Amino acid sequence: MPTRQRLKELMISELMLDMTADDIGDDTPLFGPAGIGLDSVDALQLVVMIEKHFNFKMADQDQAKRILHSVSTIAEALEQKAVA
Amino acid sequence: MQSMSRNILITGANGALGLAIAEYFLTKEADCRVFLGVRERRERAEELATRFPGRTDLITLEITSPEAWKTALAEIEAKAAALGVLINNAGFHEDALLANMSQDQWSRVLDANLNAVFHGCQAVLPAMMRQRQGRIVNIASLSAISSPAGQTNYAAAKAGVIGLTQSLAKESARMGITVNAVCPGYIEGGLPADWTPEHLKALKMQLPMRRFAKPAEVAAAVFFLASAEASYITGTALKIDGGML
Repeated sequence: MPTRQRLKELMISELMLDMTADDIGDDTPLFGPAGIGLDSVDALQLVVMIEKHFNFKMADQDQAKRILHSVSTIAEALEQKAVA
Repeated sequence: MQSMSRNILITGANGALGLAIAEYFLTKEADCRVFLGVRERRERAEELATRFPGRTDLITLEITSPEAWKTALAEIEAKAAALGVLINNAGFHEDALLANMSQDQWSRVLDANLNAVFHGCQAVLPAMMRQRQGRIVNIASLSAISSPAGQTNYAAAKAGVIGLTQSLAKESARMGITVNAVCPGYIEGGLPADWTPEHLKALKMQLPMRRFAKPAEVAAAVFFLASAEASYITGTALKIDGGML
């Protein structure tokens, strides 16, 4: 399964989102009223989810903030790690 | 009924309530394993362990030390995989009127009753988050809700425990972790040794049930809040006071 699709499906199940993968655009901001509307608790869960399912550990809060912007930014970070 | 065997850590397991909680779990949940958090005094916990061989372990735990929590959890994980339930029960009070209370009296009580709960919760959360399940029950006190004179330190600490419980419950709700508190009133075996029989008798007369709680009556509520059946209860502070408030 493509990384972006997998991320969306994991987010829906682990963050208990009442939506489908199609409702989440690749570049839609995950946080804030203009986007999906995730909150700080979701952010913590996303960090744990990414570490658990992709073995990718965020270095610090700045990196997490940058990477957790959208599904695309997360996928890109995971793909970069896979190449490195 | 629980769906799987669980590992349970109870702090303050040498005290009357800690022992009662441990015994309640061991009796009601056939396949659980209970870790009895103790410090120097451990004779009663050791006696309980001899009655439930193979299902109990004594863990030395200085609850005010984050490092001690890490060490204790590593020991538990090495013996029995991840922890499923944490009961933050340890604590003590050191009463004095605020006008006479020393900074040390204030700090010791805050450290043991509130800061230790913070350390415990912070220590167990990562594993519970990875498992996406867990139960935390914090033993607060009726003093948090109706604070008597002479307990500014203890009442503040226990009120803090309720605040921590409610806030952490919101933070962990979507991760399958529930965080609750109980607020017991007077418990048999947990009263100051220097209270005279006359004082105890007068105290009972003020209680609607005219008796103190048995430790097992508090343990039953803790057990329920830690059960699978309590899956939609989180952030509550359940008073167990025989109708006092």
